[in-house]
Amino acid sequence: MNMNLKMLKNDFNRNRAGNVSLLLFMTLVSGLVVVATIVVTQLIISMMGMYSTAKPPHFLQMHKGEINQELIDEFNSSYDGVTAWQTLSMINVYGDDLKVYGDDVFSLSDLRLDISLVKQNEEYDLLLDEDRNVININKGEIGIPVILLDSYDINLGDTVVLSSKGVTKEFKVTAFVRDAQMNSTLCSSTRILISDEDFDELFGNVGEIEYLIESYFTDSSMASDFKTAYEKAGLPQDGQAVTYSVIFLLSAFRDIAMAMVLILVSMLLVMVALMCIKYTVMATLEEEIGEIGTMKAIGMSYKDIRNLYLVKYKMMVVAGIVIGYVLALIMANVFTGHVSNTFGKQPVSILTIGLPVVGCILVYFVTNHYCKKILKKLKKVTVVDALVTGKGFGKKERVKDGLYKSKKMSVNLLMSVRETLHNFGGFTIIFMVMFIVLGIMIVPMNLINTMESKEFISYMGSSMDDILIEIDSGENLENRHEVIKNILNEDAEIKEYKEFRRVRVETIDSEDEWMNLHVDSGNSAGKELKYLDGKAPSMENEIALSKLNTDEMGKTTGDWIILRVNDVQEKFVISGIYQDVTSGGYTAKAIYTFAGVDAEKYQFTINLIDGVDAGEKASQWSDKIGGGYDIEPMEEFINQTLGGVTKQVEVATTAVVVIGILLEALIVVLFMKLRLAKDVAQIAAMKAIGFTNSNVRKQYLYKIGMVSIAGIIVGTLISNILGESIVSGALSMLGFGISRITFIINPWTAFVILPLVLLAVATGMTWISTRQIREYNIVSLINE
Amino acid sequence: MKTILQAKGLWKEFDGTKILKGIDVSVNEGEFVAIMGQSGSGKSTLLYNISGMDRATNGEISFDGEDTSSIDDEKMSNIRLKKMGFIFQQSHLLKTLSIRDNIVLPGFKAKSDSRENVNAYAAELMKRTGIDQIADHDIKKVSGGQLQRAAICRALINHPDIIFGDEPTGALNSSASKEIMDIINEINAEGTTLMLVTHDAKVAARADRVIFLSDGNITDEIVLGKYEEKAFSERENKLTQWLGKQVF
Repeated sequence: MNMNLKMLKNDFNRNRAGNVSLLLFMTLVSGLVVVATIVVTQLIISMMGMYSTAKPPHFLQMHKGEINQELIDEFNSSYDGVTAWQTLSMINVYGDDLKVYGDDVFSLSDLRLDISLVKQNEEYDLLLDEDRNVININKGEIGIPVILLDSYDINLGDTVVLSSKGVTKEFKVTAFVRDAQMNSTLCSSTRILISDEDFDELFGNVGEIEYLIESYFTDSSMASDFKTAYEKAGLPQDGQAVTYSVIFLLSAFRDIAMAMVLILVSMLLVMVALMCIKYTVMATLEEEIGEIGTMKAIGMSYKDIRNLYLVKYKMMVVAGIVIGYVLALIMANVFTGHVSNTFGKQPVSILTIGLPVVGCILVYFVTNHYCKKILKKLKKVTVVDALVTGKGFGKKERVKDGLYKSKKMSVNLLMSVRETLHNFGGFTIIFMVMFIVLGIMIVPMNLINTMESKEFISYMGSSMDDILIEIDSGENLENRHEVIKNILNEDAEIKEYKEFRRVRVETIDSEDEWMNLHVDSGNSAGKELKYLDGKAPSMENEIALSKLNTDEMGKTTGDWIILRVNDVQEKFVISGIYQDVTSGGYTAKAIYTFAGVDAEKYQFTINLIDGVDAGEKASQWSDKIGGGYDIEPMEEFINQTLGGVTKQVEVATTAVVVIGILLEALIVVLFMKLRLAKDVAQIAAMKAIGFTNSNVRKQYLYKIGMVSIAGIIVGTLISNILGESIVSGALSMLGFGISRITFIINPWTAFVILPLVLLAVATGMTWISTRQIREYNIVSLINE
Repeated sequence: MKTILQAKGLWKEFDGTKILKGIDVSVNEGEFVAIMGQSGSGKSTLLYNISGMDRATNGEISFDGEDTSSIDDEKMSNIRLKKMGFIFQQSHLLKTLSIRDNIVLPGFKAKSDSRENVNAYAAELMKRTGIDQIADHDIKKVSGGQLQRAAICRALINHPDIIFGDEPTGALNSSASKEIMDIINEINAEGTTLMLVTHDAKVAARADRVIFLSDGNITDEIVLGKYEEKAFSERENKLTQWLGKQVF
């Protein structure tokens, strides 16, 4: 057998606890790095694959109302870089109009997204099946967007019945649609596919018509400039305008969020693994100081000795990485399931396999470099240090006199407190593990809690009330608005309601070009939002702008902006900047009424009197007034919008919590194994002078308990402070409308349950690990 | 005179090897007994088994009238804490504590006296053994002789009925060894019972009685009587002659 292999085998058996832990860490770290890389790679490849087939538009303008196709054609044909354009018709129907007959019977009335019936396109903006084939729907068939399956139990073969304006039509579900353009619940609409014949039959007879005006360029980055020019040209723009980058971002956000959690966890785990490696290596070196001294004494060089150790660690690291890589490949499906579902099945590519290998090689080099750094200590230790003076690696425990001064504290606690305080360095690994494990659990948990809480609505441009009602543009907007007002005025169970009217005006961007600005006006507009700077508008000439708008305009709080309202220019001062993820993040709030400007939509936020259930009330109103209105309890609204993202982050967080707790348990056991081996003579001495086994065990329990508590406290503080900055930074980078998030923390989970669970695991593992003290033979240890 | 420690038919086996083979031995209150014998004869094993630090395979041990051969570990620990003191070849002081803290630790743990009194007694012991100047020192920074003095102070802090020593001067030079043994004789003169293992005739010559172990059995013993320094040479000669007759 090879000499190194023989040494490795002997060493493995001798220091099994340390080596198994090292192997497990490397497996865990490389496994996570591989999974994170696979998720990101698969996401990008899948999206690129889907986008290359589906060809979503680079620029999209939604529009309700008349259009002049000739003007659109003229504009596109004269704009440099436009390669193609098309205008698609959609039939918008209400959720109440669609009833599903499957295992259950239900309507889509509580769906927050606008529903549009569409037919398949010919060349661009195609709707695909799970294998990314262009779906062909026959007469009487229907293709349901795959993103609806998170909320609704719809199966192939189910029947969907459309009833609108006296027309009733039955469809059979034959496909689930992957829609590159509207692939997320974060979008405002969703497209249901029907056959050309059915579409033509229904067109003009049911629902209302909305147009998708789409353009394609030689380079998708031209979309932003095109958008400005399009708006300036006065082309149809009664609806949301979206560019390719936003489409891409909205589609990927859910998986990006999970990948970010995995990457964050991987990075932190690499840190923990490096600490454990250091602890294990140092424990081995200290234990083998005699052999090291002897090797030096017989003339072996530093490099010879270092390489003996390095080869061993290299082999273990490689073994851990290989195991981690294989396990991660097997388990990756759990994390990429959503990617495959949403973007279609992606055959495993060279990149999906290869990039994680690059990640593993990186982990190998980092670990190897770190091991080399630790082993440099071999260079400094002399034969005399190793064999004669017992100085070893020069690491000394601090001795601080003063135990005798104690008046009352129990001896076990006293010794534990003193050792923890004076030799805290010896427990760094436990402190750091508690701190990091808590951090990797608490940050995503806080994020989920924030996203699930009612208060998150303040990031969605609305105030924190019980029920949200939205009336989108379309037929009889003003009538529908009146219907809602009447309902609200008549309902005695309402404490108060606020009304907002959205109008489209124009303002000047940072390049002195006119751009559209969607302003929500109303007496309470902008109140209760999260302001990055400034405050809500309180006077008629004040306006609050979303962060993305001020970025685009190059303005800040206190600056003046010009608004062009019905060809009249008026000056407004920016009262504050808030965060908004809705409407692509581009919104504004003002008290000014903008009389004479047509409303794009209305929004009501309603507070009910105490004891009235928001869900029941919303259903009651919906039943009373029928379709055409989005009436939802605020929490349901958030859940429908962000539920998918939250669910995905929850999957990652659950994995993180399980891994975190296992990791903590593993490290505490490893630490205790090595620590007890190091302290064995001290334990024997204590037992010899009359300390019982349980006395000694209690001392370890106190020490680990105290260090854990310190780690938990610091971890809680830092993760609550830094966690917000990390998440805010990440969200800001994504250009998602939020640049500073304030966690809404569930105090029970964050400050009680999680710390207690971690503390219980640490102390429980300590108590179990110290059971071996009972087996210690004092005599043999004393005489060693 | 009252018997404080007694063992009857003490057997100890380890991995199938018989180390003690049915030993009967007793120690009287205030007596100083030394155990000698060749390496591997079982003298340290006898000391550790009789003191309850290790468990005999068979036999009875009674200490201060109590059967200690069958009591549980917790009770035995309590007896070791309050009624016994130990001095080993290496001091086995706790390295994270200073000299003084090491000494007061068993006193605080036993709670037999107030902490003020324990501190006062520790100060007295340190002064008596000449280590009061280094009370607050790190144990890694003092000499072997000073460490053994500290170990003696620690052994005495709870006013034990008996002190066991396993080669207490084994790691010391002759002058440090003599100083330590002077202290041990003083302690004995004050009434504390002593039982120690040694291979050094100069140490054993200070004992009242010396027993000789060979192959797990007590093969002989010699009574030297109470120690007097002026008669040391005579005691040493007597012991050396006796040792010469023992089968090694």
